[in-house]
Order: sequence, then C-alpha cells, then structure tokens
Amino acid sequence: MPKLERSQWYDLSRDMNWSFKYVTEEEVFPEALSHSHGIPAAAWWNWDEPYKISYRDYVHNQAEKEAGVYSVRSALARSKFFENLDPGWKAAIIAHYGVFAMPEYLATFGEARMGRFGRAAAWRNMALFGTLDEIRHAQIQLSFPHALLKKEPRFDWAHKAFHTNQWGAIVLRHLFDDMLTANDAVSMAIQLTFVIETGFTNLHFLGLAADAMETGDVEFSTLISSIQTDEARHAQQGEPTLRVLIQQGKKAEAQRLIDVMFWRGWRAFALFTGPAMDYYTPLAHRRSSFKEFMLEWIIKQFNDQFRDLGLERPWYWELFLQELDWLHHALHLGLWFKRRTLWWNPDAGVSVAEREWLEAKYPGWHDRFGTYWQTIAENVRRGDVAHTHPETLFVVCNMCQIPICSPTVGVPPQLVTHNGRVYTFCSDPCRWIFEQNPARYAGHLSIIDRFLAGHIQPPDLAGLLVYMGLSPDEQGTDAMNCAWASEQPQSAATSAA
Amino acid sequence: MATVPLQAVFRRDFVTLLVLVDDEDTMDVVAQKVARHVINRRLPARNARMRVRYNQQVLSPEQTVAQAGILAMSFVEVFYDA
Repeated sequence: MPKLERSQWYDLSRDMNWSFKYVTEEEVFPEALSHSHGIPAAAWWNWDEPYKISYRDYVHNQAEKEAGVYSVRSALARSKFFENLDPGWKAAIIAHYGVFAMPEYLATFGEARMGRFGRAAAWRNMALFGTLDEIRHAQIQLSFPHALLKKEPRFDWAHKAFHTNQWGAIVLRHLFDDMLTANDAVSMAIQLTFVIETGFTNLHFLGLAADAMETGDVEFSTLISSIQTDEARHAQQGEPTLRVLIQQGKKAEAQRLIDVMFWRGWRAFALFTGPAMDYYTPLAHRRSSFKEFMLEWIIKQFNDQFRDLGLERPWYWELFLQELDWLHHALHLGLWFKRRTLWWNPDAGVSVAEREWLEAKYPGWHDRFGTYWQTIAENVRRGDVAHTHPETLFVVCNMCQIPICSPTVGVPPQLVTHNGRVYTFCSDPCRWIFEQNPARYAGHLSIIDRFLAGHIQPPDLAGLLVYMGLSPDEQGTDAMNCAWASEQPQSAATSAA
Repeated sequence: MATVPLQAVFRRDFVTLLVLVDDEDTMDVVAQKVARHVINRRLPARNARMRVRYNQQVLSPEQTVAQAGILAMSFVEVFYDA
C-alpha cells in the first residue's frame, strides 16, 4: 500500500481543534495564560506555519544536528584550540554562555506555555517542538562551557550567572521574566518569537557565528549555528499569531506588544552583543560592525515584515536609529570601567588600529569616545590603575536595568513618581513601557534601589562584589592587560575639553 | 547633617552616577564630589570653576543642598563654567 504524501495527512493529523462541551473555553484557555483578546476559538484555527514537520522528522533532524555538533567538539577536545584563541574572543564566549544558557531554559517554559495555552492545535504542535528545541539549547550551552572549565573556571558562569545578583544578571532576569516566565501565549508568540528570535537572536547567533568562524573558534561557530537552525523554525510562531490578531481587529494591541519588546531587545543586545562584535572580536576577524549587522539583520528585515503585515515601525524608530551610532560604545566603556563586576575579561579594543576601524565604521567615534580612552590610557601608562575603576555606582534605568548613558550634553534621566516612589528611566521608550502597565514593573528593585535600601552590606565596593557573587578570582580584568594603552598618543589635553 | 544620594552627570561624561552628598554641602562641594568620579578618569581637568545645574537653574556656589531644596535621587549636572 503506497504511503500518502505528507501534504495529504499532515494538517488532518495535526489540527486537533474541537469545541468543548463539558468545560468552558475560559477554563481550558484562561485569559491570564492564553490572552486571546476575545477572539473566538474558530478564528484561531486558521493559524498555520510553513515548516509542517512531523515528530519523526524532528527527532531524525535533531539527532543529526547533535551528532554534528558533538563530533566537532570531540575532534577539537584533543587540540589546543581554546588556548590559542584571542583573549578578547574568549571574553565574548564566556560572556555569551552566562548571558544565554539560562534564558534558553526559561524559553522552555515559554514554549511549553504556548504548547498548552496557544489557541490553535497547529500552534501548540509547533510550540511543542519549540519546547524541545529550548531544552536542547539550554543543555548544549551548559555542556560546552562545562567541558572548558578546566581551562577557564569562569565558564561556570554559564550556569551561575542567572542565580546571582550580578548587575547584568538582573538586566537579564528583568527582561526574560517579562518576555518568558511571566508572559501569556499570545504575547510570547509576538514578543519572543517574532521580535526576539526572528530579529535579535538571529543577529547575535548568526553574526557571532560568522565572527567565530573567522576567529578560528569552530566549536562555538558550529554550536550557535546549529542552535539558530532550530530558532529559524520555531520563530515562525509569531507571524501567524500576528495575522490572526490583525485580521480580528487587534492591530493596535499587536503593535503595542512589538513596540514594547523591540525596545527591550534592542537595549539588552546593545549591552551584550554590541561590545562582543565591535570590541572583543579580533580586528582582523570582524566580518561586519555591530551597526552593519543591525542594518542587515534587524532594520531591513523588520522594515520588510512591518510592511508585509501592515504594521508600523515602532513609534521610537528615529531614536533607535540614533542610538545605533553611540549606545553600545557607551555601554562598552561602562562595562570596561566596571570590569571587576563582570565574570569575563572585557577587551578594551581601542588599540590605534582598532580606533581607526571604529572611526571608519562610526564617524565621530574618536571625538565622542576616543577622548575618554585617551585619558584612561594615560592613567594606565602612569600606573594609576585606581583611576581606571569607578568609586561609585552607575545609575541604572528602572525598566531596562542598564546604566543610564548620555547621548548628548544635558539630557537628564526621566524621573517619574508612582505611588510615592520615584522611578528613573533612561529614555522615553523605557518610561512608556513602564507606564503601559505600572503594576507589572513597580515592585522591582534595581541594583541602585537595593544599594540605597541597605541590601548590600557593607555598602561599598567589597560588599557589592560579594552581593554580586564575584570572588576575587572571578572578577574581570582587561583582556590584554592594557597592552593597548602603550599605543595611545601621549597627550589627552586637546579635544576633551 | 544627612546624606542625600543624587543622580549626577558631569557634562561631556557618558554616564549618570550615584553620588552621595551631605545636605549641608555647598554647590562647590557637590561639584567636587561629582567631579571626583569623572575628572582625570575619563575627562581631563581644566582650570575653570565648576558649577551645578539643578531643575534647569545654575545654583549659587555657596548655596547648600538643603537650601536648594534638592531631594534624594534628584538629578544634577556639573560642568566647567568656561
């Protein structure tokens, strides 16, 4: 008996939608978890996606991917590849694992929530595969750094970071609780899969995979490329969800969900991906600048998708484009200054050749940022290391939890009083996100709030480092032992007046 | 005497700082306490007087934090007046 073609059986076997008789729709799909926006059940049943993979095919494909990735690791385990990597690149991957491994685990919860509370069987089916994907991504991004522990103990932060009060971990928890652990199925499909996975993680995983291959880190390149093939599939949950909302007259709500998470994603990836691409990746191996990757993977793609779906660009689009030129440079400077509070050794990335590259990629970089590095380099050359560390905290935003950096002279942070408490925001969009749903965010304490509330004892740098879980051996130092400083011009007194 | 935490920026620096001052500190002292975290760290020193701007007003150097009505976590900007 001949087998049927998949197209002849797939939809029928997948789309187990039905009308409930013994329970209500609300009981099966509580609004708090499904957030159906009042759209009738049958309207969701048109939800469809292009991959149409069967469980059998899924297991087969994933087994092949796993075999490929682990065979590369086995082959490289006998080599000295890690020892030979550039110190700056090591910073990029040590930071990466701490930033991404545990959020992948949280994404498992998110996918599973869609797998149970998504309103169409086709969607739940896709989300089940997404759940399995994210389990794989968490495990493989814990396994790979674990294998490198003997060479660099701070790979332990792949697992540890998320369980500490290190300030970057607070950034990540605030973001991923909003996006994943405390989110409903519809919002997650749009915010996790449409905004983050088709956009920002695509940028990070494919961009850094290209840089990794150029750098000679075949293991990391193979790993994150393999992960991204899963992401490309399960990220397809966003667009059909958006189409249902738009067809059912919920375009404004869809737009709001996008606008919230696009901004949040941008800020977080500017903090973690921007420095990795423009400062940590060895100059000779940079395929593109962070901005060029953003233009290629984010700006063009979202412009096309917004147009195709009849959506608008986020209302803060011009501000976002302006930040492309400066934000991650400021954040990198802050990361480097606060290097003792990091679990990796940031590469300043400002040798003479690197400064020329930065000026070429970001005209005006030297006048805006080079002057800071000039003063820092003079302190290094004088042996005045104390002046290359901060003696106080950088104020962070009560939404993105990221240090508040200034684009121009005299732009103050935004102070908002809500129920008698003053909140500080870095920008109009972060303030706007808070004001969309103050009850969701109001109870959170930033690292500054915690310091002022007496949670950090003693209230000094030593107490702060203990609070963040950073022992002396774990605290970051300059990746190159500041060798770059010896190349700097001798005088800083000219343009930084 | 009471400690007042401020959010402070030194003009031309890149980041907002948490700076602890006293409510009896004059603006000259406030400026020095902010500058300590910026000058000769990221910006070179200049031979000019530093001033404090609060609520869009440049304050008198002799005025104290309490006299200016500056509350905890208020934002101030410090700059070279030349």
